[in-house]
Amino acid sequence: MKRLRRDMQAWLNGPGKVFREPLPGSTNYMAAYDKQGKLLRTKRNQGEEGPEEDAVPLEKEPEIRKQEEEDGLDEQEMQKRYEQREFIRQRKAERDARGGLPRERPFDMRPYPLNQNFRSQPVLSEDLREVIYQQVAVNGVDVSTVSAAFSVDTRRVAAVVRLKTIEKQWIEENKPLAKPYQDAVMAMLPQTPYRPNIPGKMIPHETINDLPVHPKTRQQIFYPVSESRQFTREDAAKAFDEKLLPADERIAHPELIAIEKDTLAGLSREERFKRQQERDRVAAEAKAEQEEKRRKWEEKTQRVVPGRRWDFKFQDFSAEKVGKTGRARNAIGVRYGMPHEDRKRGMVKIPTSVE
Amino acid sequence: MPRTKKIHALKRPKLRQSWSKFNLYNLSRVTAPPAANKTFFQQKWLAKSMLRSYHNPDVREGTWTRMFDRRLPAVVPMDHRYLAKYDGSEMASGRGMGVDKKPQRDARGNEIRGPEKTPYMHMTFHPLERRLDTAIFRALFASSTREARQFVVHGWVKVNGRKMIYPGYQLNPGDMFQVDPERVLYATGARKVKKDKAESNQELRRRAEERTAKKEKAEEDRAVGAVVEEEPENNTVEPTAEEDDTTTPQTYSTELKALLKRATAILDDSKRDLSGKRQQELRTFRKDLKSTFSKLRGMDESDLQETTESFETALAEILTKVPAEDLSKQEQAADAAASPSEPLPSNPQLQNKTTLDAHRARKDAELLQAALVRARANPIDTTKPYATPWTPRDYMSAFAFIPRYLEVNQNICSAVYLRHPVARPGLAEVPTPFHAETMALGFNWYLRRR
Repeated sequence: MKRLRRDMQAWLNGPGKVFREPLPGSTNYMAAYDKQGKLLRTKRNQGEEGPEEDAVPLEKEPEIRKQEEEDGLDEQEMQKRYEQREFIRQRKAERDARGGLPRERPFDMRPYPLNQNFRSQPVLSEDLREVIYQQVAVNGVDVSTVSAAFSVDTRRVAAVVRLKTIEKQWIEENKPLAKPYQDAVMAMLPQTPYRPNIPGKMIPHETINDLPVHPKTRQQIFYPVSESRQFTREDAAKAFDEKLLPADERIAHPELIAIEKDTLAGLSREERFKRQQERDRVAAEAKAEQEEKRRKWEEKTQRVVPGRRWDFKFQDFSAEKVGKTGRARNAIGVRYGMPHEDRKRGMVKIPTSVE
Repeated sequence: MPRTKKIHALKRPKLRQSWSKFNLYNLSRVTAPPAANKTFFQQKWLAKSMLRSYHNPDVREGTWTRMFDRRLPAVVPMDHRYLAKYDGSEMASGRGMGVDKKPQRDARGNEIRGPEKTPYMHMTFHPLERRLDTAIFRALFASSTREARQFVVHGWVKVNGRKMIYPGYQLNPGDMFQVDPERVLYATGARKVKKDKAESNQELRRRAEERTAKKEKAEEDRAVGAVVEEEPENNTVEPTAEEDDTTTPQTYSTELKALLKRATAILDDSKRDLSGKRQQELRTFRKDLKSTFSKLRGMDESDLQETTESFETALAEILTKVPAEDLSKQEQAADAAASPSEPLPSNPQLQNKTTLDAHRARKDAELLQAALVRARANPIDTTKPYATPWTPRDYMSAFAFIPRYLEVNQNICSAVYLRHPVARPGLAEVPTPFHAETMALGFNWYLRRR
């Protein structure tokens, strides 16, 4: 037993010492080190990341711009060059923050050396969260538009806005934030940066058009079709199941396909814009119609009696719709003469949802 | 699993959902168990016992087998450009298996193989990731699932704004959970040495290590016979002040010390170029700083509690002063740089020096302000249950990752459970330390009973 302890202490003071404190400007996962506790990526030659170009300091920008104007470059070319310089500047700043270490490779991001299929994936940086919040909550941009623009999942955009709203509320209330914790954790995690100065080089955070694998498509089927037939994705979906929609309609952003199709058709910019506006109008109308329908249905079926503290909502319910045992999942109310089951063995009383 | 405190063993190591150094050591030496002289049953048994010791052993086996589902969730990322360009019929062109493609090569000339396999087996334990205690651990709000469980049971956790006391609550997509920030700081921060002291044991050990390293070095030098002179103060001070830009985790007392020294030097330097009023301002400013510093030093040695408070008030005083100071500096820098009306020295070198001084002084004021703001956000407070100023606990960085199915805001210690974890080509979202083979064997074990 003593030997085991000694071995552990030896490891913690030897190869394991690198994990004690975070590596400045980098992640610090186990798969990034070898058995001797040496950082694997320092071994590889530095040339892989590209040669170290000279970064032009920001103070010299006006001078360069003046020079370029004198040389007679057009606006586009100047912008392109500026972006290139900005890119080099930021890369240099990042390298300096890491203390000259090479950037992590994807397989350095594995916290568990045995598991090849799990990597620590980047989280949204603080700036990016702030920008997303500003776009949605202040500028009032549509969530799905922001999602497509930053390549961030729609649900994540909504969550960022929700959390940021609470954060702002806390600041207003002078409630203490866990700022040191935030700084320390963000320094340990890989991040998706927000680089507004380089619009061409936007880093996508995640894939936004994920297609869930439908259980019906898990089986292999043999489906003979004539050779001359144009067998499309839509037909393939039908072959799996009558009600299954094609991939084009099951992804989160089908509107991107429509935009891309217009581009492929070679339409002019104005024409594309007009068509997009038309599509937006149709979508908005459909949404409004659905909302109206729901409102009407509620009006018809629900009666609201305002109380002192709560409003009571009454809704018609058929007593026949309670299943064979009278305990169907969506059944309402207490059955007379039917004992409660909640004291029975194995009955779980943990709530299944909150609000 | 017995409710025991000893969950980390060295003789028969088990991996746990925990940031303990024992766990880290076990993680460094774990391998896929050899299958050569074992029956299939034995392999499966071993695999499932390994997996269950990590994936929430507090959930009873019977409960887990009821939760287990052989249908594992996965997604395929689609490219909207591809979907717009092709309608799918191109898959049947050629000789019925799609047109032969030329093998694509990457930058180094290696052949790019097709899409990676989806690691379904790694998703075996995805129902357990829905549990509230696991999600709190995954969001880095607790140092182990056990601790997360305790937070829930003790009522420190809210789901959608309501107190939730069941660690087994199955989060629904869109649920927001909040943990009390004080608990999070306690769980993830360094431990105190004593109840009435603010220091952490980590800090003490670090200092001791530094001392021994220094001693060893001195002895080495003596052995070699080379007498190395003590480096002058200025040289040792400047690098630490420089490091402030990169916000390395340092103790704020040393940070302040270094800044004070540097500020004094530069203020002395630039004094002759400033107007009388500004000089006076600077002098009072420096005096304030010095008094704070002396209090800080006093606190380090003895009578802690009283000085902590006076230190706080002094900090607040300085904080009210610094912005004005900073502004005046900026004005000065702008004056020196831009306005031609001001009589500047005709000597270009001298002029350059003035602007440089102003620039340095401004930079210094900014640095100082940043340090003070940071010290204020992270003050020394002996009443807290964790070491202050707050620093992350040792070995945290090796375990620090946030899976994609959570969106976390660390400032308010809240997170949203976005969706259930899924597998995608080459990547599984359920964090598990085991080899694919072990996962497959474990999956097979539970499949047997379905």
